Amino acid sequence: MADEGKNSYLGLRRYIVIILCAAAAIPLGLIGGTIYYQYRNSISERVTTQLTSIVREHKEAIEKFLQEVTSAMRVVTQLKTLNDLRNRDVLQKVFDSLQREYDHAFEDLGVIDAQGNHLAYIGPYDLLGKNYRGAAWFKETMEKEVFISDVFLGFRQVPHFIAAVKKGKGREAWILRATINAARFSSLVENVRLGRTGEAFIVSSEGFYQTQSRIGNRIMERAPPGSFDLTDFAGVKFWEVMGKNGRKVLRAKTWMKNGHWLLIVQQDDDDAFSELYATRNRAIAVFIFGALVIGMVTFLTTRLLVRKIERIDREKNILDEQLIQSSKLASIGELSAGIAHEINNPLAIIGEEAGWMQDLLRRPGLKELEGIGEFRDSLREICQQAGRCREITHKLLSFARKMESVVKDVELNRLIEEVVSMREREASLNNIKFVKNYQKDLPLIYSDPSLLRQVFLNLINNAIDALQKGGEIKIETVLDGENPVEVKIGDTGVGIPRENLKKIFDPFFTTKAPGKGTGLGLSICHGIMEKLGGRISVTSQVGEGTVFTVYLPREH
Amino acid sequence: MPIPRILIVDDEERFRTTLGKRLTERELDVVTVGSGIEAIDEVKHRLYDVIILDIKMPGLDGIETLAEIKKINSVIEVILLTGHASVDSAVEGMRLGAYDYVLKPCDIEQLLERINGAYEVKAARDERIRQAEIRKLIDRSPT
Repeated sequence: MADEGKNSYLGLRRYIVIILCAAAAIPLGLIGGTIYYQYRNSISERVTTQLTSIVREHKEAIEKFLQEVTSAMRVVTQLKTLNDLRNRDVLQKVFDSLQREYDHAFEDLGVIDAQGNHLAYIGPYDLLGKNYRGAAWFKETMEKEVFISDVFLGFRQVPHFIAAVKKGKGREAWILRATINAARFSSLVENVRLGRTGEAFIVSSEGFYQTQSRIGNRIMERAPPGSFDLTDFAGVKFWEVMGKNGRKVLRAKTWMKNGHWLLIVQQDDDDAFSELYATRNRAIAVFIFGALVIGMVTFLTTRLLVRKIERIDREKNILDEQLIQSSKLASIGELSAGIAHEINNPLAIIGEEAGWMQDLLRRPGLKELEGIGEFRDSLREICQQAGRCREITHKLLSFARKMESVVKDVELNRLIEEVVSMREREASLNNIKFVKNYQKDLPLIYSDPSLLRQVFLNLINNAIDALQKGGEIKIETVLDGENPVEVKIGDTGVGIPRENLKKIFDPFFTTKAPGKGTGLGLSICHGIMEKLGGRISVTSQVGEGTVFTVYLPREH
Repeated sequence: MPIPRILIVDDEERFRTTLGKRLTERELDVVTVGSGIEAIDEVKHRLYDVIILDIKMPGLDGIETLAEIKKINSVIEVILLTGHASVDSAVEGMRLGAYDYVLKPCDIEQLLERINGAYEVKAARDERIRQAEIRKLIDRSPT
């Protein structure tokens, strides 16, 4: 029973904890999730914009560089004639000033006639006299006047590319050709630094790397097919791919040089979003901490709450028990009053008949009858027993009776002293001592003095009976704060066994020998206290004594 | 010393007759009846000093009977017989002029005491009434 109760409290506690935690955690999670999503979106937008703008800027810079190189070369062809440039010194001067202007981006500089003959050359290689008539770049330059090649290795086995401009027409036409160091050109894009993993590189439309990439690709290396989308498009494209190591990579790309080169700027997802992820981790930590705090507070609050409920339940149970006790007493009272009343009439007749017989026996003629003594004895016994029955019925009736009480101010200490003095003399004959400890300045209480007298007399009589021969009866009045006034009547007698303690207020319960007590005294006391708005309680230890405490309300 | 005339009113036939016999044995002039109606009838026709009246009776109960009797003859003293549960009505009865009440079942000695008390009160009052009447007669007589 107790276990079952405990389980139900545990269940209640679990239930409340779960509900409260959920109520706190769900909104917290929703808010956190929403904020995270929004933040992620804004960061993602920022990353996209960043990559896109880098791509744009670099495309511009590279195209500008290429354009400058070609226009510089064109200026050279405008200023110098073919004959000028065939002079090695002049060509050397031009080469030097170009180098100065373009930070040694040029490897060499040569002049080629319309037939493809290399007429003049400044550079580290011996290319004079070589004929380029069959070379693709030669044909294209002759057609388009300006040409910039892809990066290639050529004879030298060093990545480079060619810029060439054509001057003149038909057979008079000639070409100024420069080789540009690919590595130097590369640095234009390689310098792009974006976070930890951000980089830029160029891929040709055939899928060859035109610049080094920081992830380890070398110039002229061929990208694995399918790693870049090499279809033609306008503007800047942004997309996400799975990198080699399983990481997400964000890429922005654009075509340049008339669709020959694809400029790509890329960054690892976790690098681009590193700030977001750091914030996310912090938020998760805060969330976990918050959840812990909420959980703890919930747990503690719930424990407090459930304990309170437990206590209230316990008090309610005690109250219920008291209520059951009083209603039991009330119904027993009614029942016994009914019975007592019905028994009263036959009892009266028995008494009268026996009395009449006693009267008859006093008549002169009957006085000499044989065995008259025993006859008379029997009649006396009948009368006596009828008298006892009468006493019982009268007590029963007074237990149940609704008497009109006379309620007035009562000086409790004086009333008790009155009752005590009634019994003190007789008790002292049995070697019983009264120890009195009255609280001073006890307020007047509003009650029925005759009923109170009956209660105290009863309790003192019980105490005397419990002591039999010798002992102490302790009478005490207690006033404690706003609590009811307490009157304690304790004895140092035999005590009441546990199993009897619950029954002592029941009518007819007595441990006295038959004929010595009716078992109504305490139940009457209980009824009286109920009526007066107070209560009575008992504590007892076998062998040590019993204390009855009467609680009296003090308000009017 | 005149013998007090007693009327016992109780619906328990055996109780009233036995009580009647016992009181007769103690040299009282006793008549017993079994209901309020009979009691009123009796009081109308004969003189009684003390009436012992049970409160709980079928038909006319003790208190109603008491009121009727007091209307007919206010000098009769009435002792109410009651069970404990009807002490309130006994008190009500005393307010209506009953001399006292006795709890049932009653002790014969106790009852006798009350009867004597009631009779003395009545006798003394009767005596005073008699004296007053004598004085009235003397006052009225020509001197």
